Amino acid sequence: MATYFGLDKFVKLFRILRNHGGIRASLYQLYRVDDLKDGVLVGEDVHGNKYYENPNLTLGRNRWVIYSPSVGTDYDGSMIPAEWFGWMHHKTDLPPTEIAPTAYAWQSGHEENTTGTDRAFMPYTTTKPKIEAWVPPKKL
Amino acid sequence: MLSSLARSLTSSSVRTSVRGLHRSTVKCSDTLQVHRDSKENNIDTPFTFTPENMKRADAILSIYPDGHKKAAVIPLLDLAQRQVGTWLPITAMHEVARLLHMPRMRVYEVATFYTMFMRNPVGKYHIQVCTTTPCWLRGSDDVMAAIHTKLGLTPGHTTPDGMFTLSEVECLGACVNAPMMQINDDYYEDLSTDDTNEILDTLAAGKKPKAGPRSGRFAAEPAGGLTSLTEPPPGPGFKIQEGL
Amino acid sequence: MVTTTTTTTAPEKIEVFIDDQPVMVEPGTTVLQAAAQAGVEIPRFCYHERLSVAGNCRMCLVEVEKSVKPVAACAMPVMKGWRVKTNSDMTRKAREGVMEFLLINHPLDCPICDQGGECDLQDQSMTFGTDRSRFLDQKRAVEDKNIGPLIKTIMTRCIHCTRCVRFGSEVAGVEDLGTTGRGSDMQIGTYVEKMFTSELSGNVIDLCPVGALTSKPYAFTARPWEIRRTDSVDVMDAVGSNIVVNHRTGEVLRILPKTNEEINEEWLSDKSRFACDGLKRQRLVQPMVKGTDGELQPCQWEDALVVAAKALKAANGSVAAIIGGLADGESLMALKDMVNQLGGEDLCTEEVLADAGTGTDLRSSYLLNTTIAGVEEADLVVFVGTNPRFEAPLFNARVRKAWLYNELDAAMIGPDVNLTYDCEHLGNDSAVIGQLLDGTHPFCQRLSAAKRPMIVVGSTVYSQPDLLAQLMQLAQKVRSGCEEGGEWRVLNILQRQASQVAALDLGYTPGVAAIRENPPKVLFLLGADEGTISRDDLPKDTLVIYQGHHGDVGANMADVVLPGAAYTEKPGTYVNMEGRAQQAVQALTPPGQARHDWKIIRALSEIVDVQLPYDNLKELRTRMEQVAPNLTRYGHVEEANYFAQATTLAKLVSDKGTGSVIDVPQKQLADFYMTNAITRASPTMAKCIVAVKKEAANKFVDPK
Repeated sequence: MATYFGLDKFVKLFRILRNHGGIRASLYQLYRVDDLKDGVLVGEDVHGNKYYENPNLTLGRNRWVIYSPSVGTDYDGSMIPAEWFGWMHHKTDLPPTEIAPTAYAWQSGHEENTTGTDRAFMPYTTTKPKIEAWVPPKKL
Repeated sequence: MLSSLARSLTSSSVRTSVRGLHRSTVKCSDTLQVHRDSKENNIDTPFTFTPENMKRADAILSIYPDGHKKAAVIPLLDLAQRQVGTWLPITAMHEVARLLHMPRMRVYEVATFYTMFMRNPVGKYHIQVCTTTPCWLRGSDDVMAAIHTKLGLTPGHTTPDGMFTLSEVECLGACVNAPMMQINDDYYEDLSTDDTNEILDTLAAGKKPKAGPRSGRFAAEPAGGLTSLTEPPPGPGFKIQEGL
Repeated sequence: MVTTTTTTTAPEKIEVFIDDQPVMVEPGTTVLQAAAQAGVEIPRFCYHERLSVAGNCRMCLVEVEKSVKPVAACAMPVMKGWRVKTNSDMTRKAREGVMEFLLINHPLDCPICDQGGECDLQDQSMTFGTDRSRFLDQKRAVEDKNIGPLIKTIMTRCIHCTRCVRFGSEVAGVEDLGTTGRGSDMQIGTYVEKMFTSELSGNVIDLCPVGALTSKPYAFTARPWEIRRTDSVDVMDAVGSNIVVNHRTGEVLRILPKTNEEINEEWLSDKSRFACDGLKRQRLVQPMVKGTDGELQPCQWEDALVVAAKALKAANGSVAAIIGGLADGESLMALKDMVNQLGGEDLCTEEVLADAGTGTDLRSSYLLNTTIAGVEEADLVVFVGTNPRFEAPLFNARVRKAWLYNELDAAMIGPDVNLTYDCEHLGNDSAVIGQLLDGTHPFCQRLSAAKRPMIVVGSTVYSQPDLLAQLMQLAQKVRSGCEEGGEWRVLNILQRQASQVAALDLGYTPGVAAIRENPPKVLFLLGADEGTISRDDLPKDTLVIYQGHHGDVGANMADVVLPGAAYTEKPGTYVNMEGRAQQAVQALTPPGQARHDWKIIRALSEIVDVQLPYDNLKELRTRMEQVAPNLTRYGHVEEANYFAQATTLAKLVSDKGTGSVIDVPQKQLADFYMTNAITRASPTMAKCIVAVKKEAANKFVDPK
């Protein structure tokens, strides 16, 4: 009955709003990621990114990440660490919370892609400059 | 192995398109065409013309007209070489250049071009053995072997006492008296092993052996006596028409 | 009855046929020259138009009809009616054979050879050679010679054309190179270990048809097809040699001469050729202003211009300028306009020129009036206080050419320097000039007997007005006596700086005496690096603005440094010593924030509120034309003939000079290499000086 009149949509809406922590938090979530989705929290990585899953949604939209609140709106796909990357892209259905990846000694921590930021890697020349500029001699 | 491979490669019809392995020995010049300072021959080697050679030099110079004095470079270099003995130090070339007001380089050019200017020290007796075909056919190898046995010399070397230097040279123009060798200014011709030994002994004893043919010939006449022109030469009017 | 006419006419031209094409040539023309007239180029290695004929490479063999053997075209004069076949089977076979012989001992190292791509042997073996070799033996090898820091030798590549030897003995007058040995042992070299000590030595690199003599500073730098070429004008001396700037990716790689029969023929002095690496060092690439700590600090253009402009405004007309030897006409014009508008009158050149009563109003009293090519017509030249060999090497090469081929006699008043040709030394006492003038000197007879004499006055005499005045009178006296009368110019001033004639044309004052007497509040140095004015000559509060391209003496004493462009980096007008305006073409962009000099001055003028009325080069040149019309008549020598007036004025000079000994600043080859900011920054020039000084101790060098 409730389904017939579409009341379950309202139920769902309220549930989503509740799950997101109220109207204010939900509006912020909408502002931040342009989406409000209902899902199960699968896990959280070291950077504070939260991973959700909702098998009812279509493939490709059923797993998502809500980036750590610390990055605000300045988030990027490369912030997902390698162990979660596989789960997000359906390479595996087992999230690292269930099977932790082998930690090798040579591994370094995950870093996001810094291209376009101040921390971006800039190659520098190692060749001699074609023109050597004059440096005024220091007067004593 | 390699040579047979090279032969098989080059002897067939592919010769024109396949470069053979090296077939000749490395061609080395017997003298350097640049100056190298040595103990005997360097910029500080003393050389000045002796007063009497200076007179000779002036006589040579007087032959050439003004403006063409540079033509005296060869006689003056020769004079310098004779004064030193058998070779021409670099300072002697400089002295000649100074006398003739020539750039030194022009004198070097002349001195290096002519093979009779020895630009490095040679022994007191410079033995030049001709080994070109006529002399070789008449036994120049024996002459070389005799010198080698007696003095232990190979071409291009000087005896330790500085007496003899041996050079192997090309035709000296005495083919009719082959085999021959030149020692300093003299030709010794029609040589045998014994002749060679005798000449070397005489020189070593400080005497001067008789120059010229050793076969008893006076000069370059036929060895077995004349075979033509045996009659006295006919006088004027020979075979001329009487009416003339 | 038959009458014999004895009129002397030019010998009749004779007709020859080059590939059946009739050509009329002078008797005595060689086959090769006749072919060139017909537009047929015969391959050659040893033949060179400006050197004597050697005829030893045999590459120019051609078939002549009815001749059994092929003839060497470079040495064989044509006979009437000859039919030369430059492309017959016999000719082709002869060339092929010669080429095969040349290649027998030539290494196949083109990929690592610097001549690759501009090699005559490479080109001609492609065109005339066979496609295979029959030579299976070992090749000859020759050890390399060390003939100095400029020329790299790879003697195994030498094909014995002897061009370098002939250049040394005929053009450079330095007989250091020669052929030693004979036959297959023959080699080109110096025989003993010595340097090819000539101020023109770089030309043998161009002359060498193979890669035996290549440029040491340019070794393994670039291939000719990667290079961009810009025709320009040289500024290292006042000759104004035409050059080709070879550059790639914003960098001058080398400088080559460009043929100009009236100036440099096809030679170039070593300084002009090899100093280009100085353009890459010690450059001013950023404006600088002296900070409160007294050190120059890099800053932005705006800051530097504002500091300069404030000082210029505050100076209230007490502004002066000194220009150096490398300034172009455009910036000279702009600077003069700006300083004049600000109220400054002291516009000086570093180079001095004595005021022999005429000032700089009469052009003929500061030009080489005979012109450089005109030397070849002269029969007597007297140098006074100059060493043309180092002050203008290509002018000296012309004099040597005339001495060698035209019976030119030379004499010298000044130190007894080696000019590479016989030069009568008249003493270094300035009294000789007076004796010549009043006819008591024994040389006077020869001077008056000469049909076309020249008196070439050099830098030392510049500073002594009475000497210059005497020389002007002497020249006029000799001139009235000589056969040519009014047409022949006797008096010649040998300038040393590329900017000097243009500056004098534009109204600059030679010498900085005016500034010394009347120190300004702001001194503008435009490339003035010779240190004619130092800080000690100026009051403490004088602001010095230096505009130029090298950090040298000028920038060292400056409060504001404005980076300008060097001669390869700006379009500019230069007037050479004979008064010929020439255009230098921009080859590169100025490095860093450096800008064209006239644009800097134009920008500065706007900030000082005396905006100059030109916004582009064309307008600026129009302005130059208004001031000195000859400055924009590129390539022409403007006639200057005011000797009579100059002499009249010169007679009024009573100012007696102090010095009685005439000396020249550049006596030895070591003095030649570093004369301006660019050469002082050049490592190659520094190496040259070290090598030449070391060579002075070499006992194998010909005593002079």
